[in-house]
Amino acid sequence: MSLFWIVIRQLAESEAMATSKKVITREEWEKKLNDVKIRKEDMNKLVMNFLVTEGYVEAAEKFRMESGTEPDIDLATITDRMAVKKAVQSGNVEDAIEKVNDLNPEILDTNPQLFFHLQQQRLIELIRNGKVEEALEFAQEELAPRGEENQSFLEELERTVALLAFEDVSNCPVGELLDISQRLKTASEVNAAILTSQSHEKDPKLPSLLKMLLWAQNQLDEKAAYPRITDIPTATLEDPAV
Amino acid sequence: MTDTNGNSSSSNNHHHHNQQDLSLYFLELSRHGSSQGPCDMDEDEEAPTELNTINSSGGFLVVSQDKLSIKYTSVDLHGHDVGVIQANKPAPRKRLVYYFEIYVKDAGTKGHVAIGFTSKGFKMRRQPGWEPNSYGYHGDDGLLYRGPGKSETFGPTFTSGDTVGGGINYATQEFFFTKNAQVVGTVSKDLKGPLFPTLAVHSQNEEVHVNFGQKPFAFDLKEFEAQERMKQQLKIEEITLPANVSYGIVRSYLLHYGYEDTLNSFDMASRSTVPPVYIPQENGVDGQEITYALSHRKTLRQLIRNGEIDTAFNKLREWYPQIVEDNTSATCFLLHCQKFIELVRVGALEEAVKYGRIELATFFRLPSFEALVQDCVALLAYEQPQESSVGYLLQDSQREVVADTVNAMILSTNPNLKDSKNCLHSYLERLLRQLTACCLEKRSLSGDQGEAFQLQSALSGGKNC
Repeated sequence: MSLFWIVIRQLAESEAMATSKKVITREEWEKKLNDVKIRKEDMNKLVMNFLVTEGYVEAAEKFRMESGTEPDIDLATITDRMAVKKAVQSGNVEDAIEKVNDLNPEILDTNPQLFFHLQQQRLIELIRNGKVEEALEFAQEELAPRGEENQSFLEELERTVALLAFEDVSNCPVGELLDISQRLKTASEVNAAILTSQSHEKDPKLPSLLKMLLWAQNQLDEKAAYPRITDIPTATLEDPAV
Repeated sequence: MTDTNGNSSSSNNHHHHNQQDLSLYFLELSRHGSSQGPCDMDEDEEAPTELNTINSSGGFLVVSQDKLSIKYTSVDLHGHDVGVIQANKPAPRKRLVYYFEIYVKDAGTKGHVAIGFTSKGFKMRRQPGWEPNSYGYHGDDGLLYRGPGKSETFGPTFTSGDTVGGGINYATQEFFFTKNAQVVGTVSKDLKGPLFPTLAVHSQNEEVHVNFGQKPFAFDLKEFEAQERMKQQLKIEEITLPANVSYGIVRSYLLHYGYEDTLNSFDMASRSTVPPVYIPQENGVDGQEITYALSHRKTLRQLIRNGEIDTAFNKLREWYPQIVEDNTSATCFLLHCQKFIELVRVGALEEAVKYGRIELATFFRLPSFEALVQDCVALLAYEQPQESSVGYLLQDSQREVVADTVNAMILSTNPNLKDSKNCLHSYLERLLRQLTACCLEKRSLSGDQGEAFQLQSALSGGKNC
C-alpha cells in the first residue's frame, strides 16, 4: 500500500515539474525571432531619437544625410541646449543662466526648483574658488529669500553654506557638493527642463527598450525556458537551461 | 593578402552558398511594401458591436431595432425570469483594457439593473453573478456578484440617469466598474476563456441602453490606459542597465550599416563629453568584423540611396566581384530591379522596357523572384505609378532594402567572419526581435491576453508589453 502512494506522489511531482515551465528549443525560438518584423526605418528613428536627445548635433546632421531619417526636433535647438549643459558642467553657472533665459525665459520662471539648484551651484563655485565674502553675500541676498519660501530649499542652503565651516573641504560631510557629480546633476536637470519646454521627451527611448527587454525576459522566465540574451552589448543568445 | 577593405579573391562553395542565403533573406523583405508582423493582427481582433438577440432570454425582454437597448415590459415574478442579454462577440483580449458602458434610461419599479461579464453558455434567465462563470455589478444593492453564494459590497447603487461601465484590465487581470465616469471598484478576474459583456433588467419598465464604443464613453478610458501603462513603465524604469550600453549599441548600429560620417561625428563628440564616454572593450574579433570595409559600404549605400545603380554595379565589380559575378544571384536581381525602378521613376519607360527584357526576363519563371518582377513590371501600367498598389517600389524604403542587401553581402566577404548570420542583423535589431518575441510568448502563455510590444507604436508614443 505505501509503495503505491510513493509512486503516486512521484508521478504527481514529475507532472508538476513537467507542466510548470514550457521548454522552447533554440530552433523553435529562432523561428519565432525570424517571424518578427522590424522595419529599418523604425530602427533609424530610434537611433536618431538617441542622437537628438543626448545632444549629438553633428552626428544627428550626418545621420540625417546618410540615412534620410528626419530628426524629431529642430537641430538648431540642440546646439543651444548643449551650450547650456556644457556651461553648467564647466562651472560657468552665470553664463548658463543667461543662455537659458535667451533660449526661453519661461523655463526658469516656471521651474523654481531648477532655478534654486542653479543658484546653489553658483554658490558652490564661489566657495570652490575661495571667494568667501562674495559667497556669503550671494547666499544672503539671493538664496536666503528662496529658503524662506521653501523648507527643503532652506535645508539645501544650510548644507551648502556649511562648506565654509571647514578648512579641509575634501573630508567634510557635505564635501560631495564640490564633486563634479553635483555639476552633472544640475546639468542634467537643466537639460531635461529645456527638452520638456520644447515638448520633447527628456529621455531617449533606447534605454527604456533595453530595460523592457530585461523585464520581459524576467517575466517570461516564470513560465518558460528559452534562449535568453544576458549580454546586451553583444546581443548573444544563450541556450535554454534544461 | 587582404587589406582592410577586404579585396580578397577567395570564394569557395561554402562561401557562395552563404551569400545566396543572405541575399534571399533580403529578397523576402523587398516583396512587401510594409510587411505585416504578428502584432499587426491585434487590430483585427473582433469586438462587440451590438447585442446578441439569438441567445438572449427573449421571452422576458424586448430588444430595440438597433440592438443597442433593452426593456423589461412585463412584471417580474421570481428569480428565473431575468431579462439578461450578452453582446454579439466576446471581449477582445489582445489589448490592455476592454471597456463598455450602459446608460440606465429607466430603473423601472425595482431598479434591478445589472452589468457584468458572463461566459458562453450562461443561463439566460438569471442575473450575471448569480450563476457560475459570471460576474455582475447590481444597481439595486451595489454588490458585486461572482457566482452562487459569492457576493460582496462593492460600490454605490445606481439608478435612472446613471452611466455605468464594465471593464477588463488584462494587465492586472481584474474586472473594474465605473459609475458616472469614476471607477467604483475592482475585483480579481478568476475566469478564463471568452467573456461576453452582459446587461440585465428585471422589473417592469426597466430600460437600459448600451454603448460598445460607437459613441464616446463617459469614462476617460484613454487616461485610464495611460495610467496603467505608466505603472508598468515605472516598474521597468527601476531596472538598471550597465553604463553606456545604449551608447555602445548605437555605435555598433552605425558600424554595421556603414554610416561612416555619422560614426566619426559620434566618436568625436563622445571624446569631449563630460565625463568622457567609456565603452567596455569590445571582443577584439567582433570589433574587427564590423569596421570591415566601412568606407566601401558607406560609398555603396550612398550610391544606391541616390539611385545610381550603374555606378554601384561598377564599384562592386571593382571591389567585390564575387558578389556580382553570378548574374542570377538575388543580389544582382535586386540591383537590376532597382535600376528598372529608377528608370521608371524618371519616366524613361522605353529604356526601362529594354532593360527589363535584357536583365529581368530571366527571373520571371523563378519562384522566389517572380513576385517582385511582376510588381516592377506593373509599374509600367500606370500613369501615376507612385499612387498605385505597386507604388511602394518607388519609395525610399525600397532603395534601403537594396542598400542593406549590398551592405550585408560585403560584410559576408570578410575572411575573418565567424558566423555569416552576423551580417544580417545589427545588435540593435537582435535585441528588438528578442524583446518582441518574449512579449508575444509571454502573452501567448497567459491566455493570449494583453497588449504585446510593437516597435512602431512604441516609437509614436506608448505601447508596452
